[in-house]
Amino acid sequence: MSAIFAPVARASAGVPRRRTELGLMLLGALTTCFAYLLSHTATTGRLIGTSDVLLAVVALIPMGGHLANRRWAPDADPVILPTAALLNGLGWVMVVRLDPALALHQAMWTAIGVVVYVLGLATVRHSRDLERYRYLLGVGGVGMLLLPLVPHLGVDVNGSRLWVRLGPVSFQPVEIAKIALVIFFASSFGEKRDLISTPTVRVGNLLLPDPRVLGPLVAAWGFAMLAMVAEHNVGFAFLIFVIFLSMLWVATGRVAYLAVGAVLFVVGAWIGSLLFAHVDARIVAWLHPWSHVNTVGYQIVQAQYALGWGGITGTGLGLGHPSYVPVVISDFIFAAFGEEMGLVGTTSLVIAFLILVGAGLRAALSARSDFSKLAAAGLTAVLGFQAFFIMAGIVRLLPLTGVTLPFVAYGGSSLVANYVLIALIMRISNEGEAAKLSWG
Amino acid sequence: MDRQIRRLGLFMLACFALLFLQLNNIQVLQASSLANAQGNPRAYLKRVAAPRGTIQTADGVVVAQSVPSHDSLKYLRVYPHGPLYSTVTGYDSLIYGTSGVEQTYNKYLQPHTAPLQSISDLLAPRTTTDSLTLTISSTLQSVAASALGNRHGAVVALDPSTGAILAMYSSPSFDPNLLASHNNTTEVNAWKSYIANPSQPLLPRAYRQIYPPGSTFKIVTSSAAFDRAPNLATKIFPTLTALPLPQTTHKLHNYANELCGGSLAQAFKVSCDSTYGQLGLDLGAQKLYTEAQSFGFDQVPPIDLPLAAPSSFPKPATFTNQLPALAFSAIGQQNVAASALQMAEVTGAIANGGKMMTPHVMAQIHDAQGNLIKSYQPSVWKQATSQATAGAVSKFMQGVTQPGGTASNVALPGVTVAAKTGTAQIGLHNGYTDDWLVAFAPAQNPSIAVAVVVTNQPPPSTGSSQAGPVARAVLQAALSMKRG
Repeated sequence: MSAIFAPVARASAGVPRRRTELGLMLLGALTTCFAYLLSHTATTGRLIGTSDVLLAVVALIPMGGHLANRRWAPDADPVILPTAALLNGLGWVMVVRLDPALALHQAMWTAIGVVVYVLGLATVRHSRDLERYRYLLGVGGVGMLLLPLVPHLGVDVNGSRLWVRLGPVSFQPVEIAKIALVIFFASSFGEKRDLISTPTVRVGNLLLPDPRVLGPLVAAWGFAMLAMVAEHNVGFAFLIFVIFLSMLWVATGRVAYLAVGAVLFVVGAWIGSLLFAHVDARIVAWLHPWSHVNTVGYQIVQAQYALGWGGITGTGLGLGHPSYVPVVISDFIFAAFGEEMGLVGTTSLVIAFLILVGAGLRAALSARSDFSKLAAAGLTAVLGFQAFFIMAGIVRLLPLTGVTLPFVAYGGSSLVANYVLIALIMRISNEGEAAKLSWG
Repeated sequence: MDRQIRRLGLFMLACFALLFLQLNNIQVLQASSLANAQGNPRAYLKRVAAPRGTIQTADGVVVAQSVPSHDSLKYLRVYPHGPLYSTVTGYDSLIYGTSGVEQTYNKYLQPHTAPLQSISDLLAPRTTTDSLTLTISSTLQSVAASALGNRHGAVVALDPSTGAILAMYSSPSFDPNLLASHNNTTEVNAWKSYIANPSQPLLPRAYRQIYPPGSTFKIVTSSAAFDRAPNLATKIFPTLTALPLPQTTHKLHNYANELCGGSLAQAFKVSCDSTYGQLGLDLGAQKLYTEAQSFGFDQVPPIDLPLAAPSSFPKPATFTNQLPALAFSAIGQQNVAASALQMAEVTGAIANGGKMMTPHVMAQIHDAQGNLIKSYQPSVWKQATSQATAGAVSKFMQGVTQPGGTASNVALPGVTVAAKTGTAQIGLHNGYTDDWLVAFAPAQNPSIAVAVVVTNQPPPSTGSSQAGPVARAVLQAALSMKRG
């Protein structure tokens, strides 16, 4: 068996790593199946259901990713794929529990996501390949952001213009754009690292980097921000801004960027809340939900009720009433877990994302080039901050940002994009670990 | 760059740690207030998932049930006998929550997950409600309520050998139907008028209010003599109209300045204050205090009703420079205070050979299919005194219903009744009294102990005249039930 899946003959940590991965994948698949059994019998009172075949797909398809790892990323981190597959599986169980009609749809997107993951590993054999397409990715990323604004193509959903509809398929280009932009930032910051780290212009007491270097970057960022303000998508604008800042800081180590960024952000948020009613409403809903229970605070208050009702151990899968929370299936799926699996369940999700973040940053640390370091850190930050923003929004640590919970929430584009994202992290992890081994 | 990457990792760790803390705040600290918040539809859904369990008396009279209401709340809580049982049942109000056994046994009465009986229960839990059978006898409850009438006060009757409460009534009482109404205005107005009413109809005074027990406390004082100073139990006390008190020129006057004294049995029969005041002084504060403690004073009676009031006896140190107060405390005045429930327990302990049983109103709980879920197992609350002392004090109490005793009007034909009266002065000079009578019967083999308090009665009321007939009616009904 192992001869088939371990074609690389050289000394490698790969085989035990992939064995660990296989074990974790099986454990995850088992967990998913058990969760499905609980939720299915609780909601229908029967053991056999119409979605059982789909369960097999969702539980077993990620094994394809595991096989691809054996073939194309044998030394990569063994926890990333199992963790993502587990989140995906539990998310599917919850989506089916909330709306059984979406079982097929979400299972199909899971399959597509895994296929894209495999293709990603198969085609991107070296992270430096990506760097060659830097400008294509940069322009593509911005283009993706603008796509929903194209008449007849873009669709308004819940007041945000985030979606593009092409025939029967609709997707959120911003999910793809976030990855393209991270690669673009990583490549640009990596190349111009010395330039942007060295202050050359003095303004008062502050030494600032050459504006000719930063100019195009800031312009690209500003452009993306504008596009998203036009699309009423504050969540992703905020996310990409935070990623931009984090990557700039990781590349340069200059705290001045963080300070300037924070000021820019506060000013931006203030102007946003003055100009856009929906931004203001989110801030009001965040700070004073209880005094606007029937209007802007309704959704967030319902989420608090769900979380409180769940308590420490939850009602049990399929035994709560999470449907009282509006859009629980996408933006608020975390609240559904809080109600039915309690603090135990929500904490498990938080820990799962923390594991992904840890593994991603480990890949960044072991990466050999500036570009791959920055790319791995950036991709990890996108995943981690996106998860943090939506969970923090639901528990009122932050205003609600309306981004999806990666791998868990209902939605195809998010799922596919995040599988691509971890494929790239796996690629970088594999390079770093392989290099470590060959260097002894 | 590695340094920044590690710091980024630490920052994200901090973010997730914050998330974890906030989740604890919401799902642990605030969990119950969020779960039960007015706007949370889940509490409502749970409420209407099944009709709330029925409450019935020991003899099968339904005192609370939920009937279809044809509105969004689906079921209306109905109390067929209005105020008669509300001291025990309490209310179940949409706005004001629950009280009484509606509160204590809420988790059985409200819709809840049925206990596992099959594999399918494990996978798809059923919602069910249980019904509650009280120890209360509908006959005794009605007799107690009508005997007390409109006078303020309380009646508690119990089975001394088990602690089962047979009747518990407070006057004035309230109508729980008004508080369970689905009409918001009815509910709010009823609540406001009950709260504004100075006679506090919502107060279940039978177990939550304490009054000076007056001479009924001489039961405890007598027990103290037998238990802690046997020489005093046989002492012959001087015959006086008033007891000169230490540390003052005031005297402790007997009721109507009667001349009394002699043996304790003689003094007990006529409720001689000068003798028992002297006995208190002879015993000393510590012994009297310890005896009161062993009879359950200063402790919350472990009854299955919410917020029962502890009865109180002052700490020994408070008497150090206040010896006259000790004489008054020995006759159940001066900061000594007890609930009707507590005095029924004290009486029950004497009737039950010194064992004070844990009081309870729940007899059994059945599930929706009629299977027994829970059955009350009698337990001893306190060994209040020895069997010998209980027997001696029982003799004293039997004397009280004999001709010449203060409760001769409580005597019943063909059966020996043991009793003690209490007439506690509540104002300093206006002569108003809280009037008590505690009793048990048959004296040789007691099946019922009762405590009656009629509060704030104008002179010349006494325990015998006000509370005596109520206690007698309850005893008579109980004994004829037993025979019948």
